[in-house]
Amino acid sequence: MKKYIMLLMILILFTGCNNKDNKQIVNVLNWSSYIPDEVIDDFEKEYNIKVNYGTYSSNEELLAKITSSKKGTYDVIFPSDYMVELMKSRGLIQKIDKYRLPNRLNLNKIFLNQPYDYNNEYSYPFLSTIVVIAVNKDNIKDNIRGYNDLLNKKYKNNIVLIEDQRIVIGMSLLANRYSMNETNEDSLTKAKEWLLELKNNIKAYDSDSPKTFFITEETDIGIMWNAEAEIAKQENPNIEIIDPIEGHAISTDNYCIVDGSKNIDNAYLFINYLLRNEVSKKIVEEYPYISPNNIIQESNIEPENIFKNGYYVKNIGEHITSYDRLWADIK
Amino acid sequence: MKSNNKVFKYIFLSPVVIYSIILILLPLIYILFLSFCKSDSYGGVIYNFTLSNYLTIINTTYIKILLKSSLIGILTTFICICISYPFALILREKKEEVRNLMTKLVMIPFLTNSLIRTYGWIVLLRKNGVINNTLLGTNIITKPLELMYNNFGIIIGMTYTLLPFMILPVCSAVFKIDNNIIEAARDLGAKPLQIFKNIIIPETISGVFNGSLMVFMPAIGYFFISDILGGGKVMIIGNLIKNQFLTARNWPLGSAISIFLIIVTFLLVRVYQKTGGKLDDLGGM
Amino acid sequence: MKNKTLKNIFIALVFIFLFLPIIILVIYSFNTSKMNIIFEGFTFEWYKTMLTNTDLLEAFANTLIIAITSTIASTIIGTIGAVGLYKYNFPFKGLINKLIYIPIVIPEIVLGISLLSIYTLMKLELGMPTLILSHIAFSIPFVIVSVRSNLSPLITTYEEAAQDLGANPLNTFFKVTLPAIMPGVISGATLSFTLSLDDVVISYFTAGPGSNTLPLKIYSMIKTGITPDVNALSTIMLLVTTAIITVSAIYQSRNIAEGGKS
Repeated sequence: MKKYIMLLMILILFTGCNNKDNKQIVNVLNWSSYIPDEVIDDFEKEYNIKVNYGTYSSNEELLAKITSSKKGTYDVIFPSDYMVELMKSRGLIQKIDKYRLPNRLNLNKIFLNQPYDYNNEYSYPFLSTIVVIAVNKDNIKDNIRGYNDLLNKKYKNNIVLIEDQRIVIGMSLLANRYSMNETNEDSLTKAKEWLLELKNNIKAYDSDSPKTFFITEETDIGIMWNAEAEIAKQENPNIEIIDPIEGHAISTDNYCIVDGSKNIDNAYLFINYLLRNEVSKKIVEEYPYISPNNIIQESNIEPENIFKNGYYVKNIGEHITSYDRLWADIK
Repeated sequence: MKSNNKVFKYIFLSPVVIYSIILILLPLIYILFLSFCKSDSYGGVIYNFTLSNYLTIINTTYIKILLKSSLIGILTTFICICISYPFALILREKKEEVRNLMTKLVMIPFLTNSLIRTYGWIVLLRKNGVINNTLLGTNIITKPLELMYNNFGIIIGMTYTLLPFMILPVCSAVFKIDNNIIEAARDLGAKPLQIFKNIIIPETISGVFNGSLMVFMPAIGYFFISDILGGGKVMIIGNLIKNQFLTARNWPLGSAISIFLIIVTFLLVRVYQKTGGKLDDLGGM
Repeated sequence: MKNKTLKNIFIALVFIFLFLPIIILVIYSFNTSKMNIIFEGFTFEWYKTMLTNTDLLEAFANTLIIAITSTIASTIIGTIGAVGLYKYNFPFKGLINKLIYIPIVIPEIVLGISLLSIYTLMKLELGMPTLILSHIAFSIPFVIVSVRSNLSPLITTYEEAAQDLGANPLNTFFKVTLPAIMPGVISGATLSFTLSLDDVVISYFTAGPGSNTLPLKIYSMIKTGITPDVNALSTIMLLVTTAIITVSAIYQSRNIAEGGKS
């Protein structure tokens, strides 16, 4: 009897460790709540490739996962603009053979050839989004037009902010009429003071889903990506989405293939599949970001306006330590 | 026979020795090593000896976080003590079966996932959560109370998650006190407060220290509770370390903060041992 | 009299505090509304939905695989380790004896990041193997402490007697030592199983692609909105773990009772 139990235990031990069979796989690391399960399932069925899907909630977390794991752990990732630039310079992503992505021709040209990756050597745009102010008009009647309107003491404990240090500090810099990527210490001090003034009005920081705060009516004002705001608006049509007059941050997430990827063929298949117009449409219907594909989508933001008053977060090198300390200071 | 014994000695000892060297000693030495390195601006590690990470910790910004975090930890520990002592003293008067059943019951909620329990608190505490809705519905309050996304929420969450680590050692210490001593003291005319001060506290102090250690250390490290119930507004040491490792990509600084935590832990363990506590009693649930 | 009522009220309040969130979760697992805000009506629907939520089930399966493998491994290593550390002397025994307490006392986050760093240094791919290894790492000390509390000079005497009667060390271990320390082994195994099921912090740092655990899945869901099928799964897990604990408690108390009789 005892022997059988031992045998069983050993069996369990081996089945536990021996997860690798010969099925085709692609290891994808993507932002949380970004691609509907259905889209992934359809890909798996169509190509008979298993998608190992991991998530992250910031570019830095992505970088950490890529650099701290063994080469070949991941295949396809979705870094934002500045992270593409950084990963490019550190050799973490590989050049893309554009001829293996015939569906790239579906993309709208204004999204191509961006400053972080001229000629799209290493990346193709997946989805874009901009920072907006969302206001629940049920409870707030004021005409809010920009960041500086949010300093009003009336909004005590009523604002949810996206938890992203570059975006929040960038917003504060824009509110003070500096460049969004300013590194000058005096400007940063101003930005810090501005954020400390805003602090009383902040109810919470949330990176994954500030919209929940609107849906549960926890807060009436939110600074978030337009996609989140659109989702909140679907739940409550009285939510107004405002493009701040001081300017907005743009973020474009891109398809990239990790250097040392072990499943390159599958990676291309996966990206090319996501580049299909109907797939992109399905994604933005579920998560209303701005698709770079040439498709018609319901959105309050016109593609032309995205780049007019918009700025990308740029790599600021060692000044990140000042940003980091500022961030700890305002918490 | 002799050599046979030697073989068995190796069989019995090698797994635990290999384990403690590879999975405990080596990681800690590596962290100590990293804490004296520099980080480049892209999150890599430069192997140059420097004390700058330790100097950074002393910077006011980080000191403030360490202090705030310790305050949350101390408050949580204090509240846990305030609940556990009366709880144990009252149960002490009950029959042994009742006592055993009650201490078992304390454990039941902790068999569910700690995140799902924390989520349960969101459902209770949020603006239109169960507590606010009940209070509003019965007209006790007219405006919803701010119960979470602040320090209050964090402390509730920490206290809830860590309470059994205090209740169990305090109970086992309080239950061990000899009844005769207390009765003798009472016969000699000692007042309840005197009994508490002169008998109960000295007899249970190591149990309380045991609990405090098992409450305080996690309370400054559980970043997920401050994330969820504090709304990301309050940084505790756990968030700070997590950020250095995953967001800011400054492993050397994160390591230095960790080394600092390890030193604090060792000091607290020394104090615990001084009060007569045994290492084997720690974490025994 | 009044004093006594007050005391009972206090105990009741403590239990309300402890059980309220759990009860709420169980109640909302039967709620027809998806939002976990207002209780609208009674349904078993979420228990069905749960069975079709492959992500959730996969995370749950991973959690079970990790918990079972790490419990078996840490129970074996911890048990023979505790016996070995008790019986034999060797150089640096004091150091090893101190080292094994470290995972119990240091904050989990420190253990988490130090394991992450060492895996990175060794270029280990993050995933199920590293998760299992990490769970073994924090479970072993609890098993050792638990088994050690059952070791006594009396057992050594029995072992010597058995060996004098011609039993080999292997037989002695399985026939004499193991039965004597069984309660400690079982409570150590139960403890490491429950710790592994619940671990958030260490898994957070040592998980990789395709190795999402239930706590990590719930963590990401809390931010995007938890659906009641998670409540349903938690309710079932609560029932199962309570059953396991009850059975192990009964087993232990019976063991103690038997020990008392002989």
